[in-house]
Amino acid sequence: MSILVIAEHNNSSIKAATLNTVTAAAKIGGEIHLLVAGSGCAVVADSATKIAGVSRVLLADAAHYADQSPENIAALVVAHAPAYSHVLAAATTIGKNLMPRIAALLDVAQISEIVAVESPDTFVRPIYAGNVLATVQSSDPVKAITVRTTAFEAAGDGGSATLETLAASADQGQSKLISSELTQSARPELSAAKTIVSGGRGMGSGENYHKLLEPLADKLGAALGASRAAVDAGFVPNDFQVGQTGKIVAPQLYIAIGISGAIQHLAGMKDSRYIVAINKDAESPIFQVADYGLVGDLFELVPALTAALD
Amino acid sequence: MKILVPVKRVVDYNVKVRVKADGTGVDIANVKMSMNPFDEIAIEEAVRLKEAGIATEVVAVSAGLANCQETLRTAMALGADRSILIETDAELQPLAVAKLLKAVCVKEQPQVVLCGKQAIDDDANQTGQMLAALMNWPQATFASKVMVAGGKATVTREIDGGLETIEIGLPAVVTTDLRLNEPRYATLPNIMKAKKKPLETLTPAALGVDVAPRLKALKMAEPPKRAGGVLVKDVAELIAKLKNEAKVI
Amino acid sequence: MSEYRAPIRDMQFVLKELAGLDEVVQLPGCEEASADVVDAVLEEAAKFAEGVLSPLNMGGDQEGALFKDGQVTMPRGFKEAYRQFAESGWTALGCEPEWGGQGLPKLLAAPVSEMWKSANHAFSLCPLLTSGAIEALVLSGTDTLKQTFLEKMVSGEWTGTMNITEPGAGSDLAAIRTRAEPQADNTYKVFGQKIFITYGEHDLAENIIHLVLARTPTAPEGIKGISLFIVPKFMVNDDGSPGARNDAWCVSIEHKLGIHASPTAVMAFGDKGGATGYLVGEENRGIEYMFIMMNAARFGVGMEGVAVCERAYQRARDYARDRVQGTDIGVRGGAKVPIIAHPDVRRMLMSMRAQAEASRALAYVVAGAHDKALHHPDTELRKQNQAFADLMIPVVKGWSTEIGIKVASTGIQVHGGMGYMEETGASQHLRDARISTIYEGTTGIQANDLIGRKMARDGGATLRSVIGMMRALDADLARQGNEHLSAIRTRFQAAVDELARAGEWLVANYAKDVRAASAGAVPFLTLFGIVAGGWQMTRAALVAQAKIDGGDSDPFYPAKVITARFFADHLLSQAEGLASTVIEGATGVMVLAEEQF
Repeated sequence: MSILVIAEHNNSSIKAATLNTVTAAAKIGGEIHLLVAGSGCAVVADSATKIAGVSRVLLADAAHYADQSPENIAALVVAHAPAYSHVLAAATTIGKNLMPRIAALLDVAQISEIVAVESPDTFVRPIYAGNVLATVQSSDPVKAITVRTTAFEAAGDGGSATLETLAASADQGQSKLISSELTQSARPELSAAKTIVSGGRGMGSGENYHKLLEPLADKLGAALGASRAAVDAGFVPNDFQVGQTGKIVAPQLYIAIGISGAIQHLAGMKDSRYIVAINKDAESPIFQVADYGLVGDLFELVPALTAALD
Repeated sequence: MKILVPVKRVVDYNVKVRVKADGTGVDIANVKMSMNPFDEIAIEEAVRLKEAGIATEVVAVSAGLANCQETLRTAMALGADRSILIETDAELQPLAVAKLLKAVCVKEQPQVVLCGKQAIDDDANQTGQMLAALMNWPQATFASKVMVAGGKATVTREIDGGLETIEIGLPAVVTTDLRLNEPRYATLPNIMKAKKKPLETLTPAALGVDVAPRLKALKMAEPPKRAGGVLVKDVAELIAKLKNEAKVI
Repeated sequence: MSEYRAPIRDMQFVLKELAGLDEVVQLPGCEEASADVVDAVLEEAAKFAEGVLSPLNMGGDQEGALFKDGQVTMPRGFKEAYRQFAESGWTALGCEPEWGGQGLPKLLAAPVSEMWKSANHAFSLCPLLTSGAIEALVLSGTDTLKQTFLEKMVSGEWTGTMNITEPGAGSDLAAIRTRAEPQADNTYKVFGQKIFITYGEHDLAENIIHLVLARTPTAPEGIKGISLFIVPKFMVNDDGSPGARNDAWCVSIEHKLGIHASPTAVMAFGDKGGATGYLVGEENRGIEYMFIMMNAARFGVGMEGVAVCERAYQRARDYARDRVQGTDIGVRGGAKVPIIAHPDVRRMLMSMRAQAEASRALAYVVAGAHDKALHHPDTELRKQNQAFADLMIPVVKGWSTEIGIKVASTGIQVHGGMGYMEETGASQHLRDARISTIYEGTTGIQANDLIGRKMARDGGATLRSVIGMMRALDADLARQGNEHLSAIRTRFQAAVDELARAGEWLVANYAKDVRAASAGAVPFLTLFGIVAGGWQMTRAALVAQAKIDGGDSDPFYPAKVITARFFADHLLSQAEGLASTVIEGATGVMVLAEEQF
């Protein structure tokens, strides 16, 4: 039984999510092979040989893998997948885009965003925005899995995998990358951030939101989020929304400011490792999930907190 | 150009679901059901493409119990021209739904399938991609902007860390992210018109699709409740706790 | 923070099981409203109420409508919300298809309007007033007037108002002094001041169509000398677009206890040479036309009572679930519990819920009767339903709005000290609800209308037929083995007897001693409201029990039975005291000389 993990990278370095995925693979048990498909990405494959637990790194280097189009990567993976019991990718936008395509081509079900491994064919995954944990068993010969990275530690280094080269599959020519626009700010992306500063209706206005929360987020290297109420009130655009219909996040630290803690918001952030709540109403439900609560006027407390972080 | 929009009937996002006492599933008897919010965005986008003169017909499709008709009526009240219900009381997993949709695509020959990126019940985020694979069509997932012209779609996608824009040939599958648009409210005249729009009912058997589930749910459980933490008295104490106890700053 | 959720499940139950939706949708002219359309309309209206109107409610209250230089600026978000509201076709729901309306029955309009009112009372007044003005035009306007105004009012592009009250003419319409002078071109020049004009000026729509009560120079004194005029804010061009500004101006808006986002205008007509007006119907029949609309307007305000009961209940319930305070009663040192565990909090919540459900059921039943009165092919049934609706509308208006205030107040009580703070939103409900017992005829006026025009005038015949319907439930109740249904039966029977006792006394004594009868009018209206609400809750319990007995596992049904049981034990039980007050209370009311006050 061996497991194929699809590495996530930008052709020059491996992304951290891959390391969490390797740990999930290790929990399943078996030999772990890591596929690095890209263009001019030998350096990535080289460094990947050092990931603890990986026994083989498979390098597929071709121009048409440069932008990780799911059509091309899926074609490559499907050619090799039958030799494996499991194919894993991180549940990032890349993995989520790719894995169902692989699963369908293999005619197998996919198990999305696993948070625990019960046995080689049984996994735990959240449904209903994390309000329910489902334990599911797969009867398919190949298990196609995406891994919620926040649920698994990152694999360390110290490995010494062998490096092999795979022949590239044919270019499907179905998709062309026109441009990419990665957020330039030093602020991390919401669903990948280690720290999130999030504001709710208590901010009062969009102006207050930016004036108070941006300096704090800058100090903490945090992403900015918001409750649905703040989005509905027009303080910030929809893509800031954390919650059942917004983004589901699980950072190390989630700071909820002026957020009362509606169920649908809690659904989006309650898996955070530590939750801090700042709210003037001590009865707000947010305090029932917060590890550390600070009751008081956010217009005084937030600047004080920002200043104290120097 | 025809656009096919798959829509799913799900537990309304305001409902807090409860796991059945015996852990065999989620109790959804007598709870409010609605159209999956991402599918509403897909309908909206399709209707906008029609209003812009790019699409000529918007067909909504749903699979499941007979009461999915209500969801299809909602889709038609929002502007879909007609709909198709694949009626079955079988449990449908994403792969099976993708196969059903494939059969519909073969029959209907849409140029674009616009679907929600995921359903808020099973949170699978699979069906659109699977359908694209089965049709051997290109896919553009997590769309925040869609332009269709000259047999191609230019789609801006929400990816970790930013946006990317890709160009794909048609026919193709596009899945919607939250930012793509803000769905309209159905107008009263359109609600009234919706009941007169055609709704065709098919079955998996008639489409020749085996919908047997591949995954078996062994157990459902509620996640451990977060224990409430402590109230700190001031900013200094908060910082001390975060530094020394939680070690997160 | 509690967010409004339309109680669609209960609405559907009342529509289908109590108010005769199936029958109404068979009526000629109501066929469009098939069951699936009703469900879809409720769903979509709920989305709009929850998603657009409710989020503006608190901000609208805090910001209020703003008056400056003759212009009114609405609170943030209202203009856009109104545009969406009109574009979505909600203004046209009950209007005649001839003018672009959907012609849906009143039975469907009732729950939809309840949602608007629950979500945002101040907003809901704009369409309410417009629909009143539309109704007046449809019933009494000339073809030219209809063609000029109706389509744009139905579509919501233009809004409407009712200009009735003057500084010297409040409840007493005979005192109206506004003048209308006929002109050679068949128009009139209107001069005078009107006060308390809801949405008399605003920036939501491009034109405002005022309906104005005024006297022509040759009119007889008193109530029979009042005519009804249309006075548009902007004259209408031949192509239908708004033209020159008419001499109808808002000179200020009122500072009020509640409904802050609803601009209550002082209107000056004719300060600059005369406002052009068009006669509606015939001269001197204005009051008659107003009365035709009155039923609809009073019913609409009655729905405000239902709506605030529901909204205040939801807010209090959500708070009581979240607020942790004290341990379970009788448990020392136990875990702290949410206050919903405490018996007195539960009692308050149940009373809010029971009154919300009872007033809703009664109002929808009356709406259904109104549809049958308008559309039933059988003349006799039309007449019976009209008589029933006429009798019950003052009860719906008077009782629902009075309990609306009480329920909103109880909602504050559930919140404790936080309820007295504006930030929870609980106090806004009470402030907003306070107007509903006053406008469109105070509770006192409703009660006098009830005992005089609706009961004494037909010698109590309609009242007796309603009591007969109430008593007819007993056969079904007697068959029930269930403990709750037996308890309900006992209470309900006794309460109906008290209603009959007090009602017969009033009918017998109205002509003999109208002052004594009138002194008991409001207690009688309260009694009638409670018994009629209890009647509907009893019917609801019977339906629910039948569903349970038939194996339906929906938890809605046992909850309905218990809520009916609560209503019986906590509200129907008050009937005896109220009946005694009606019959014996006049002495205490009337004996003191005026100077002794």
